[in-house]
Amino acid sequence: MKILVIEDDRTVGEYVRRGLDEAGYHVDLVGDGDEGLRRASGKGASYDMMVLDLRLPRMSGIDVLRTLRDRGVGLPVLVLTAQDSVDFKVQALRMGADDYVTKPFAFEELLARVEALGRRPKSISPPTLKVNGLVLDTGSREVSRDGKRIELTPKEYAVLEYLMRHQGRVMSRTLITEYAWDYHFDPGTNIVDVVITRLRKKIDQAKEPKLIHTVRGVGYVVRT
Amino acid sequence: MESIRGRLTLWYATALILSIAIFAVVLYVARRSDTYQDLDRRIQSEADLTAGILAESYRARGTLVENDTAGRPQLTPDVAAVLEVVPDYLLVTARDGRLLFASPDARALTFGEFEQLNAITRPPPVAQSHTPGRFHVSPNGPTLHYIVRAVPDAGDQFGAILAGADTKSAELRLEQLLLTILIAFFVGVVPAILVGGWLAARALEPVDRMITEVREITDGRSLHRRLAVPMARDELGRLAETLNQMMTRLERSFAALRRFTADASHELKTPLTVVRAGVERAITRPGVPQETLAPLEETLHEVNRMTELLDSLLTLARADEGRADLHREPVDLRAIIEEAGETGELLAEHAGVGIDIRLPPQPLVVPVDRSRMRQLALNLIENAVKYTPRGGQVSVELAGDNGRAVFTVADTGIGIAPGDLPHVFDRFWRADSARTRTSERAGTGLGLAICKWIAEAHGGTIEVQSRPGRGTTFTVGLPRSETPSS
Repeated sequence: MKILVIEDDRTVGEYVRRGLDEAGYHVDLVGDGDEGLRRASGKGASYDMMVLDLRLPRMSGIDVLRTLRDRGVGLPVLVLTAQDSVDFKVQALRMGADDYVTKPFAFEELLARVEALGRRPKSISPPTLKVNGLVLDTGSREVSRDGKRIELTPKEYAVLEYLMRHQGRVMSRTLITEYAWDYHFDPGTNIVDVVITRLRKKIDQAKEPKLIHTVRGVGYVVRT
Repeated sequence: MESIRGRLTLWYATALILSIAIFAVVLYVARRSDTYQDLDRRIQSEADLTAGILAESYRARGTLVENDTAGRPQLTPDVAAVLEVVPDYLLVTARDGRLLFASPDARALTFGEFEQLNAITRPPPVAQSHTPGRFHVSPNGPTLHYIVRAVPDAGDQFGAILAGADTKSAELRLEQLLLTILIAFFVGVVPAILVGGWLAARALEPVDRMITEVREITDGRSLHRRLAVPMARDELGRLAETLNQMMTRLERSFAALRRFTADASHELKTPLTVVRAGVERAITRPGVPQETLAPLEETLHEVNRMTELLDSLLTLARADEGRADLHREPVDLRAIIEEAGETGELLAEHAGVGIDIRLPPQPLVVPVDRSRMRQLALNLIENAVKYTPRGGQVSVELAGDNGRAVFTVADTGIGIAPGDLPHVFDRFWRADSARTRTSERAGTGLGLAICKWIAEAHGGTIEVQSRPGRGTTFTVGLPRSETPSS
C-alpha cells in the first residue's frame, strides 16, 4: 500500500514516513504542494492514500485538496492540522478531506486513522489478545484468566487492552493515560497507578505468574 | 439619578424653582411693606383730618362738648355727624379720658373689645406727638394699625384722637398676591420642567442610539461595522468619530489576535509534534534501559502538559473573539457524566475521598459538544477531589428540571474564602489558601475559566457556592434546547 506524505517540516515528515514504513506501508515524502499535486494526479500515479499537512509554503494544503478533487482524484486524504478549531476542520472536510489528525498527535492515533482510511484488515491487532492464561476479546470486550470471567470497568478494560496489545513492551504512564482518557487529559495524579492496582487485584491476585509489571519511573508492561 | 438626562432635568428644575422662588419672595415682601405703608398713611390722614375738623369747629363755635340726657359728655351732634362719615375706627376722648365720640365701626365692637381699644388712648398724648402702633383686639376682634394724636388747636377740650384701620383688607390683598404667585408658579414651572426634560432627552438621544450601535458592533461578530457619523461637527459627531477610530484599532488587534492564534497553533505545535515524535519513537523502541525510559516518560508528560496549556490558551483566545467553537449534537448527558464519574472514582480512590454519583433514570438528551462537555465534567470532578482532604466526600449529580439540565459537583473540601469567590473563574487564578496538596502538581490555572466558557458557550450558566472549611458546590445549568450561544 502506497502513501504520499506532503509535509514541509522535515522532522515531522520523516517521523511520519518512518513510522508508517515500520508499520509496513510504502511511503513517499514530498515537501511542497505543487510537487505533491503533480505526483498524486499525474500520469501513472499509484498512491492509495495521501497524508497532507494543511500549512504548506506557496500552495496551501486546502488548495492542494481543492485542486485534487477538481481533477477528479478520489484518493483518500488524511489531513494534518495545527488548528483544532471546529470550523477549520469542517472546512477541510468540506474540501474533500476524509479525516484529520490534530498536531501534536500520538503516532498511534495517526496509524489508527491511516488504517481505518485504508480499510486494511487489522492484521497487526488480532481480535483476541492472549498473554499466558489471560485472554482479552476485543470484539465482545470480554476478559478472562484461566477460563474464569473477569469483570472490568471501561477504563480498566482500556488500560489492559492497551498493555496487552503491546505486550512485552514497556508502556509509559503518559501513553497509557492518553490512550484510555481524552487525548489531553492530565489529572495531575497518577490515575494509571490506581487502575493498575485494581487490575492487579482482579488479574494477578493469588495467581502465578504475575502478568502486570511495574517499571519504576516509567510505566507498566504486561508479560509473563 | 441613573441618566445624564435625569440629572440635567433635575439641575434645571432646581435652578428654575430657586430663581422663581427668590423673585416671588422679593415681590411679596415689597408688596407687603407697601400695603402696610398705605394703611398707615390712611389712618394718619384720617387722624389729621379729624383733628382739622375739630380745630375748625372750635374756631367757629368754641365749645364742642355738651352733656347728653344721661349727663355724659359727648361731641356736639352736628360735629359728630361730620365725623360719622370717616371710615374705620375713630375715637375722640376728653382731657380726663372720657370718651366723646366713637365711629360706627368702633361702636360695632363688643363692650370688652371696645374697652381694650379705649385703653390705648390713655394717658393722653402731649402736644404734637403721633404714636403709631399695632394692636390685636382679643380674643376674636380685628387686628388694627392705629395712630394716637393730640388735638392742640381746639382749646383744652380734647385728650386724644385714635384712628385705626383693620389690617384685614391689607392681608386679603397679600393673600391674593400669594395665591397668584403660587398659580403662576405651577402653571409656569411644571411645563418648563417637562420641556426641559424633553430637550435634554432630545439632545441626548443620539448618545442612546450610539450606545445601542456600539453594543451591537462590539459583540465580536460585527467589528467591521462603523457608527454613522452625523454631519454636524459637534461634540456628538466628534464622539462618533473617536469611537470609530477606537473600533478600527480594536478590529486590527482582534485580527492580529486571530492571526496570532493561527500562527501560534502552527509555530508552537509543529515543534511540539517534533519533540513528541522523537520521544515517542524512543520510548516505544524495544530494549531501551529503564534509566533512559524514565526521563523520556517525564519529557513526554511535559510535552502533553504544554500541549494542553496551549490548547486552553487558544480556546480562550478564540472565545474572547466571540467565536463559539462548538460542534453540538444531541447527547445523553448521563453517558458523559458516567464516564467522567468513573475517572472521578479512580481519582477519589487514590486521594482517599468518598464519591457518589447520581444520575436520573431517564435519558437526558441535550445538544452539546461532546468532548467539551466531557472536559467540563472531568475538570469539575477532578477539582472537587483535589481540594477535598482524605476522608471527605464528593457528590456528583445530574438532574433534569423543566427545560434545563443541571449538573452539580459538591465536595466537603477546604472551600474558598468569600473574597476569592468572584475570582475563581479568572484565568490563571489560584487562591493561596487553596493550594493543592504539596505532593501534587498544580493545574494550569485555566481549568475553571475553560469550564465557564464551555457552560456559557452552550447558553448555560455556571455558579459556585462555598464555605471555607465546609466545602464547595459547582452548579452547571444547561438549556435542553439549543439557544444561540453568546
